[in-house]
Amino acid sequence: MTNPILPAPFTDLAPLAAHWARPSENERSEIRWSASADDFKALYEAMMPRLDDILALLSQHPATDMPEEVRNLFLLACAFAEASPHHELYRGSSAVPYSFDARRFVRTDGDVAL
Amino acid sequence: MMTTGMTAADLAHTARSSEDIRHELGVDPVSVRSIRDPAIYELEREKIFKKTWLKVATSWELPKVGDYKVKELAVANASVLIVRGKDGQIRAFHNVCTHRGNKVVPTTGFETFGRSRANVVTCRFHGWVFSTDGPLRSVPMKERFGKLDSACLGLREIHCDIWEGFVFINFDAEPAQSLTEYLGDFGKLFSGYPYEESTTAFRYSTVLNCNWKVAHYAFSEGYHVPTIHAGSLPGFQGIEHTDFKLMGPHASSTIYGAGMDTAPSTLAFASMLSTTERHRPRPDQLPPAINPERRADFQFELPNLFPNFIIHLASGCGYPGMSFFTHQFWPLDHGRTLWEGINYFRPAQTAAEQVAQQHVNALHRNAWLEDTATMEDTFSGIMSGTIDEMQLMDQEFLIRHAARTLDTFLAA
Repeated sequence: MTNPILPAPFTDLAPLAAHWARPSENERSEIRWSASADDFKALYEAMMPRLDDILALLSQHPATDMPEEVRNLFLLACAFAEASPHHELYRGSSAVPYSFDARRFVRTDGDVAL
Repeated sequence: MMTTGMTAADLAHTARSSEDIRHELGVDPVSVRSIRDPAIYELEREKIFKKTWLKVATSWELPKVGDYKVKELAVANASVLIVRGKDGQIRAFHNVCTHRGNKVVPTTGFETFGRSRANVVTCRFHGWVFSTDGPLRSVPMKERFGKLDSACLGLREIHCDIWEGFVFINFDAEPAQSLTEYLGDFGKLFSGYPYEESTTAFRYSTVLNCNWKVAHYAFSEGYHVPTIHAGSLPGFQGIEHTDFKLMGPHASSTIYGAGMDTAPSTLAFASMLSTTERHRPRPDQLPPAINPERRADFQFELPNLFPNFIIHLASGCGYPGMSFFTHQFWPLDHGRTLWEGINYFRPAQTAAEQVAQQHVNALHRNAWLEDTATMEDTFSGIMSGTIDEMQLMDQEFLIRHAARTLDTFLAA
């Protein structure tokens, strides 16, 4: 995937967006399930220090209507929002420890693109 | 609205202490026979699922005239069409063509959503057309039927009523109670909250290889939280499961707690929601008899609406920004259950709010993955015949009460 365009000052996050940012929860889940502890760590270390700034930018845009570069950042932030517990709480495991098989757990409307 | 003028004192008769519960429901172990015995399941279908009021939709899922939802309910051998008619009223029908029995609205999976643009649904077999309020409107080559009483061939209606925007049906030809009567004090306890404002829904489902009551009971107590959720809710301190209430076939209780050790990302997302007017904790919006002292450490109300529905009312006080969440447990057969869990939020206005909701939803989904991990093992354990009884502590009284209610219905 070619690197998506991102708004300044977040253009350097484009390679992460290429890997993680997808418009539907089911697509993002597939990526998360195949991630390694190092993948989660790299995403976390790139995003967490800038999370407040990212949220401040996203606060200026309505949830339903964003310019393309903002939408790419939004989708990366969504992927981070779903991935951060794997680094913070689950020691880098792609599965929630001691849990049910996430692949059997269906987001009923999870193919709907954001 | 049912809460008009109602105060917490009006529901004081539902309140029970732990001592009251022990006295009223007993302290003995409870038999697992109703979980293990397939013959009991057949009785449950006839005496519970075809007799009681069952939640099947919300009014805000079907906001426009012509919006419909079809639910496949194996427990009643039924495909149910819930549709908003031209007059704005939501009705329920058997999704069965009165010609020869074909499904009128084709379905995929357990739930199918759609919209009828001309206020009609048309059977794809021979083109019989029904109005969304039921009557048979047209039949191709009608003159070639030697006899056809089309006035009596509308869609077969199922009793349907709405409480606080939750749509319930009753399969009984003549329900013994109206929905309001059936809900009783439960309806009063939970009414008055603006449920319909929380139209953002994150919906999950899974088919579990267990009896429906194993899944239901696992979500009916707070005793498991410090153990099973050590991963997703770390350091959950000072959990207090109290304010027990008994209301006929229904029951409720309250989870208070100091909360958990908040991870840095959760803190960032939570503070963005908790400082936004539409997502912040709103203990003031809780119905008067839920958290009557308006304690700041209120997390959510944990009820059981018999037989198979749970509304966890949080009003933003528990999981950040979450208005409420629901569970429902639909038997597919004796040993298979469709579980449906839905997290409800008020709609995000900004992209940042939406990201924060995604995070809170993911944390809660992950907690549900921890919950569901036990269910198939529990059912296998019970089916092995190793134990004949469940040992139940005070905070598992919803299970004790539901098991007793089940026995009462089966004996009727």
